[in-house]
Amino acid sequence: MRALKIAAAGMTAQQMRVEVISNNLANMNTTGYNARRAEFADLHYQQLARPGTINASDGTALPTGVQLGLGVRASAVSVMLAQGSLAATGGDLDVAIEGDGYLEVTLPSGVSAYTRDGALKLTGDGLIVTSDGYSVVPDITIPSDTRSVSINAEGEIYGYFVDQIEPQLLGQLTLAGFTNSKGLEAIGSNLFLETPASGPSAVGTPGEDGLGVLRQGYLEDSSVDPVREVTDLIEAQRGYELNSKVITAADQMLSAMVQLR
Amino acid sequence: MDNASYTTLTRQSGLMREMQTLANNIANASTTGFRAEEVMFSEHIKALGPSASSLSMATAAVRNTVDTQGTLTQTGGTFDLAIEGDGFFLIETPNGQRLTRAGAFTPNENGDLVTADGYPVLDPGGAPVFVPQGLGSVGIGADGTISAGGQPVGQVGLVRPLEPAQMIRESGVMFDAPDGFEAIPDGRMLQGFLEASNVNPILQVSRMIEVQRAYELGQNFLDKEDERIRSVIEAMRR
Repeated sequence: MRALKIAAAGMTAQQMRVEVISNNLANMNTTGYNARRAEFADLHYQQLARPGTINASDGTALPTGVQLGLGVRASAVSVMLAQGSLAATGGDLDVAIEGDGYLEVTLPSGVSAYTRDGALKLTGDGLIVTSDGYSVVPDITIPSDTRSVSINAEGEIYGYFVDQIEPQLLGQLTLAGFTNSKGLEAIGSNLFLETPASGPSAVGTPGEDGLGVLRQGYLEDSSVDPVREVTDLIEAQRGYELNSKVITAADQMLSAMVQLR
Repeated sequence: MDNASYTTLTRQSGLMREMQTLANNIANASTTGFRAEEVMFSEHIKALGPSASSLSMATAAVRNTVDTQGTLTQTGGTFDLAIEGDGFFLIETPNGQRLTRAGAFTPNENGDLVTADGYPVLDPGGAPVFVPQGLGSVGIGADGTISAGGQPVGQVGLVRPLEPAQMIRESGVMFDAPDGFEAIPDGRMLQGFLEASNVNPILQVSRMIEVQRAYELGQNFLDKEDERIRSVIEAMRR
C-alpha cells in the first residue's frame, strides 16, 4: 500500500512548510530579515507501462502509459530577496541599504560574514561595530570629540567637530554584492556566510556596480508580509489534514483487505 | 476460484493503483507547477465461447495528465516565472532536455539561471540563460525577454511538446518529451508569480471516498463469494 507512504511524505512536506512560515512570523520585526519560502518537487515515478508500449493483444501502442508517482520532497527553502520597508529611527549610526548589497563584518574567528542589519554602534575606543560587537569592514574609528556624524548615500562618513567648521572625512563604508545572494548561508544573528553557491563577494562603493545606496537614520524592516504568511499557513494546515485523510482512507482499505477470510 | 472472483480482483488492484495516484496528487497539492494525474479504467474483454457470455476484466491502464491552469500566486521574486496558458520552460538535465511548468529560478554563482535542483534554464535556441549582475533591476517580459538596466540580455525559452500525450513524468516536476518539442513564439509568462499545483483537493477527496467505498464493496463481494463456494462444498460433503 504505497498510498500510506506517499501521504506520509505529503504530511512531512506540509509540516516543513509550517516550520518555515513560523520562523518567518517569529522574525516579523527582525531588522533586515528576508522572508523564506519552502518549495516542493514531486518524487520519482514508477513506469508501469511506458508511453508507446505495444499492446500485445492487438499491436496498438499505449498512448500515455501508466506511471505512478511516489510522493513529494522539499526541493529548496529559498530566500525571498524583497526590499523591506525603511523605518525612520533618527539614529546617526543607523544605516539602511536601499537596493542590493551587504555590510561586511569580521567574526572573532577572522572569517568575514555579511549582514543587512545596519544598526551600528560604537565601542569604547570609537570603533564602528554591529549590535553584536563585530567590527565592520573596513575598520572606521570615530574620535571621541566628534559632535555629530553624517553618512551619505555613497557610504562616506563625515564627522563634525567643535573647533572646525568643515566636516572631516572619517572613513568610507563599503558594500559587498554576490552573484547569487540566495546562495548565502544564514548563521543566525542576521549574519550570512559566503558559499560556493553564492559566488565570491564583490566589494564596491554604495550606489555603484548595481549595489544599493545607504540611508542614514533608517533601518530596513523585515520583509515578512503577515497576510501572506497567514494565508500560506492556512493552506499548509489544510494540506496536512488532507494528507492525513488519505492515510485514514488507505488504512480502511487495508483493513478491508485484512478482514477477508 | 472462478471468474467472478478474478474479475473482482482486477478491479481491486486497479482501485489500489488509483488510490496511489490520488495520494500522490494530494501530497503534491503545494508543489509549484505540478500537474494532477487521473487514472482511467479500461475493459479487457475475452470471449469464452460461441454461445457463452464474454468475460470482461477492468484494468487501470491509461493515465491522463490534467492540464488546467494552476492558480497564479504572487511572490514578487525577480526570477519567479509563471506561464499563462500553453507551454513549458526548457531545462537542461544530465539526462537530456526536460520540460517543466515550475518557474522558481535563481542565478547560480556563475550567473546562469538555474532551477532549485541546479539545472540550467534554456533559451529558445537551447543555450543556457545568462543573467549579468550589477546592471540594476531585472525585468522579464511576457515573451521571456530578460532586460537589465534597460538592455535586453537574454530570453527564457517557452516550448510545446509535439505529442503531449507521450510525455513521461520525472522527479522534480519535470516531463520528458521523447517525440520532441517546438518553440512557442507567442507564449505568455509573468514575472513575480508562480503557478501553484493544479490539484483540486475537493475532486481528489470525493474521488478518494468513491475509491475507498468501491474497494470495500469489492472485498465484501469476494467475502460473499468465498462463503458461497464454502457452502457448496459443505452441501456436497453431506
